[in-house]
Amino acid sequence: MSQDILTVDNLGVRYGGLVALNGVSLRVSPGQIHGVIGPNGAGKTTLFNAISGLTALSTGSISLNGADITRLPAHARTAFGMRRTFQSVQLIKPMTVLENILLGLHVDARPPAGQPRMAPGAPRPSALERAAEVAAQLGLSEHLYKTIDLLSFRNQRFVEIARALVSEPQLIMLDEPAAGLAGPEVDELRDMLLRMQERMGFAILLVEHVISLVMQLCERVTVLEFGAVIASGTGKEVMADRNVIRAYLGEEIDA
Amino acid sequence: MKIILLGAAYVAIGVALTCVVLFADPYTQYVMNLVLSSIVVAIGLNIVLGFAGLLSFAHSAFMGIGAYATAILMARLQLPYVLALPLAGLVSATVGVCVGLPAVRVRGLYLALVTIACLYFFSWVFVHWDTVTNGSNGMSVPTPAFAGIPLESDEQKFYLLLPIAALMLWLAAVLMKSRLGRSFVMVRDAELAAQTCGINVMTTRALAFGISAFYAGVGGGMFAMSVSFIDPHSFGMLQMVTQFGMVLIGGISSLAGSLIGATLLTILPEFLREFRGAEEILYGFLMIVFIIFMPDGIAGFLRRRGWIGATDLGGRAKRVRPGRSGGDPSVPAQSRLAAEMKKWVAK
Amino acid sequence: MDLPVYIVVGISNGTLYALMALGLVLLYKTQNFVPFVNGEFFTAGAFAALTVFKVFALPYWAAICVAVLCGAAIGFICERAVIRPLANSHHLSLVMATVGASILLQGVARIHWGDDIYSIPPIMSGMSVDLGGVPIALQNLIIVVAAVVLMAALYVFFSFTRIGKQVKAVSQSLVGAQIIGINPNRVYRTTWMLSGAIGAMAGVLAAPFTLLYPDMGSEILMKGFAAAILGGLTSIPGALVGGLIIGISEMLIGGYINTVFIKISAFVIIMLVLLVKPQGLFGTNTIGRV
Repeated sequence: MSQDILTVDNLGVRYGGLVALNGVSLRVSPGQIHGVIGPNGAGKTTLFNAISGLTALSTGSISLNGADITRLPAHARTAFGMRRTFQSVQLIKPMTVLENILLGLHVDARPPAGQPRMAPGAPRPSALERAAEVAAQLGLSEHLYKTIDLLSFRNQRFVEIARALVSEPQLIMLDEPAAGLAGPEVDELRDMLLRMQERMGFAILLVEHVISLVMQLCERVTVLEFGAVIASGTGKEVMADRNVIRAYLGEEIDA
Repeated sequence: MKIILLGAAYVAIGVALTCVVLFADPYTQYVMNLVLSSIVVAIGLNIVLGFAGLLSFAHSAFMGIGAYATAILMARLQLPYVLALPLAGLVSATVGVCVGLPAVRVRGLYLALVTIACLYFFSWVFVHWDTVTNGSNGMSVPTPAFAGIPLESDEQKFYLLLPIAALMLWLAAVLMKSRLGRSFVMVRDAELAAQTCGINVMTTRALAFGISAFYAGVGGGMFAMSVSFIDPHSFGMLQMVTQFGMVLIGGISSLAGSLIGATLLTILPEFLREFRGAEEILYGFLMIVFIIFMPDGIAGFLRRRGWIGATDLGGRAKRVRPGRSGGDPSVPAQSRLAAEMKKWVAK
Repeated sequence: MDLPVYIVVGISNGTLYALMALGLVLLYKTQNFVPFVNGEFFTAGAFAALTVFKVFALPYWAAICVAVLCGAAIGFICERAVIRPLANSHHLSLVMATVGASILLQGVARIHWGDDIYSIPPIMSGMSVDLGGVPIALQNLIIVVAAVVLMAALYVFFSFTRIGKQVKAVSQSLVGAQIIGINPNRVYRTTWMLSGAIGAMAGVLAAPFTLLYPDMGSEILMKGFAAAILGGLTSIPGALVGGLIIGISEMLIGGYINTVFIKISAFVIIMLVLLVKPQGLFGTNTIGRV
C-alpha cells in the first residue's frame, strides 16, 4: 500500500477576519495527476501558497512523503521532494536559460531517504549536464545560452517548468501553466507534461482554468469554491456534479 | 564587435597601472593606491547592492571598521600587514553579519533607513570612542613591511596592494559564478521562487551583507595603508555617496563596472581640489544623470556595444563538456545523454 | 536646568523634527518612497534667513516668507528635474536619485558659503516669557506657535481646497485618482513644493539658535526620519507625535545621563523601531516585514 505523496488535512487560512480557505482536504498519490479547479477567488493559489509554505496556515496539517511539513518554512519543504511554478513567471531576466534551470538544482529535491533512480554504478551526471538534458527534453536546447528576456512567453513558461523538474522531484505543483498560451501551445504543454511524467514518475498538482487541459491530464480533480471543497472525484464525476455546475454557471431559476 | 576576453582585459589594466606607477611622481602613485582600495570597496558594494539587491548605506561604516581594525592590529598587536588585512576584513564581516541578520528582515526602503542609522552610529563611534580609535585625533597607521623590508614609499605600497586587489577581484568573480552568487541574484529578482527552490532568503541576504562587509573591511585596510593616517570623519555620508556613485556610474551588477567606477571617481576629485563644492556637485549631478539616462552605467553601455562579454552575472555559464560524468574517459559513452551533449557542445 | 525647562525645549525641538517628518510623510503617502533630500530644504531655509538678515537687514517675518518661497522653489525643481523623469522606476532608484540631489545641493551651498560656520544673532535675545513659573525662551514659543499656525493652514488646505483634496485622493489610491481625472504630476508638484516649504520653515525657525553650515541638513533629516518612522510613515499625526517624543526624550537623556548621547539617540530609535515594530506607533501594517 503506497503512501500518498501529499496529504492536506483540514487546511484553513485566515487573514484577520477574512477566511481564504476552510477545511480543505485532499490527497495526491505517487505519480498521480491531480487537478484543482474553481471559479476566480476560490482560493486555489492560496492553497498552493499554503502547501509550499509561502502563506501561513491557521488550521490543519500538510504531509509530504509521510513527513509533517506544517511547521517548516518554505525553503525547508523542498527537501521533501516538492517543487512549484508560479502564475506569473518568476525567472531571472538577465540570466541565461541554463543558469535559470540550474537554480532548480540549488537544493536537491530528493527526499532524505529516497530511492536511487539509476542503476547502481551508472555515472551520476553533473549539474550542468542534468540541466542541459532537461532543457533538451523540453525542446529548449537552442535557447540554452539566451537570456530570458529574449524568449517567447511559451518558452519562459517551459523554462520555469524545467527548473522545477531538473531536481527530479516527486511532486510538482503547477499554478495555471497554460495561462497566456495559445491553443497549439497548450497541446504542446500537455504532451510535454505527459511525456516527462512517464519518464520521471512524479505526481502533479495542477491549478488550471483551461478545463479541457484538466480533463485531458487529470486522474482526479478537486473543486474549490469560496475557500472550501465542493466536489472531488474523477474529471467526469466532477463535471457532472450539480454543485460544480452551479458554482461555474449559476443556478437555474424555475419561474 | 570583437568580444575582449574579460580576463585578458584585467591583466592589461594591471600592466597599464603598473607602468603608470613606474614612471609617475609620488603623488600620482599615492592616487593609484587609493584607486586600488576603492576598487575593492566598490566590488563589495556591488555584491550587496548590485547582485543581492539590498540598498545598504552601512558600507562605508564597514570600510571604516576595516581601516581602524587594520591599524589597531598592526600597532597594538604588532601583526604584519598580510595578517592584519584579512583579519580586519573578518572583523568587518562579523559586524556586517550582525547588522545584516536583523536588518534584512525589513523591506528595501526600511533596510536603507536602518543602514543609514548604522552609518551615522558608527561615524559617531569612530569620533567618540577615544580609548580604541583615538577619537577626533585620528589614528596613524604603522608602516607595513614585506619580508622584513619596510615599505615607506607609495610606489612600494602599490606593489603590495596590486596583487591584493587582483586577488579580491578574482575571488568576487568566482563567487558570482558559484551557487551562492546565483542564489544572491535569485533572492534579488525572484524571492518567492527562490524559497521554493530551497534557498533560505534571510540567511542568504545576511551572507551577502557579511561578504560585502569583508570587502569593505579589506578595502578599508588598504585605504588605511595608503593614507597612513585615519581621520574618523572620513567614513560618513560623503564617502558613502561616492561609493554609490562608483557603483552606479561604473555599472551596477558588473565587476568590470566597479573597476571603472572606482577608478573614475577616485581620480576625478583630484582635478577638483581647488573648486569648493565641485566634488559634491559633480557626484550628485552624475548620480542623477546616470540613474535617469544610463541605469546600467558605463559597463552596461559597453556590454550592449559588445565590447565586453556578458560574463558578469547574467552571462554565459560554462560550456558543458562531454565525458564529464566522472567515469573513465576511455569507456565509450553509455547513455543517450552523452550523444546529446556532443550535438551542441561544438558551439 | 530642571525638568520643566527640559520639557519646554524638548517640545520646541520636537516641533522642528515633527515639521521635517511631516514633509517626509507627505511625500511617502503620495509617492511611496522616502526622499533623502529634505535636509536640504531645511538648510535652504536657514541660509535664506542668514542672507535676509546679514545682507538685507529685514525683519524676521520677512525672513520666514523668503525662506518658505525658497524651499518651495527648490522642491519644485527637485520634482521636475529628478523625480518626474524617474516616475516609473524602481523606488530604490528614486531614493538614490534623491541622495544625489541632496549631495548636489550641498555642493551648491558650499560654493558660496564654503566650509565656514555661521550664526544669526538671536532675534529677541534673552527675552523670555513666564508661564506658570517656568521661563520659556521667546524663540521656542515662536517655533511652537508658527508650527501650530502651519498645521491649521495645512488642515484647511487639505480639507477645503481643490488641489488639497486631490493630494488626499492620490495618497489613498493613485489609480483611482487618475481614473477620475486627477493629474498626478500636478499633485506631485504640489506635495514637493509643500514639503520644501515646510522644511524651509523649520530651517528658518531653527536658524536663530543653531550653527549654520552647508551640510547641516543631514542631522535634522535623520531626526525627521526617526520621528516619521516612530510615528509610522503613513500617519501625519504620527509624525507630529513622533517628533515630540524624540525632542523631549533627547533632552531628558541629555540632561540626566550624558549630552554626548543626544546625537545618536535618533539613530538608535530608528534601528529599534524598524527591527521591533516597523509600522511605528500609528502606521498601517502594509510595511516592512519580509
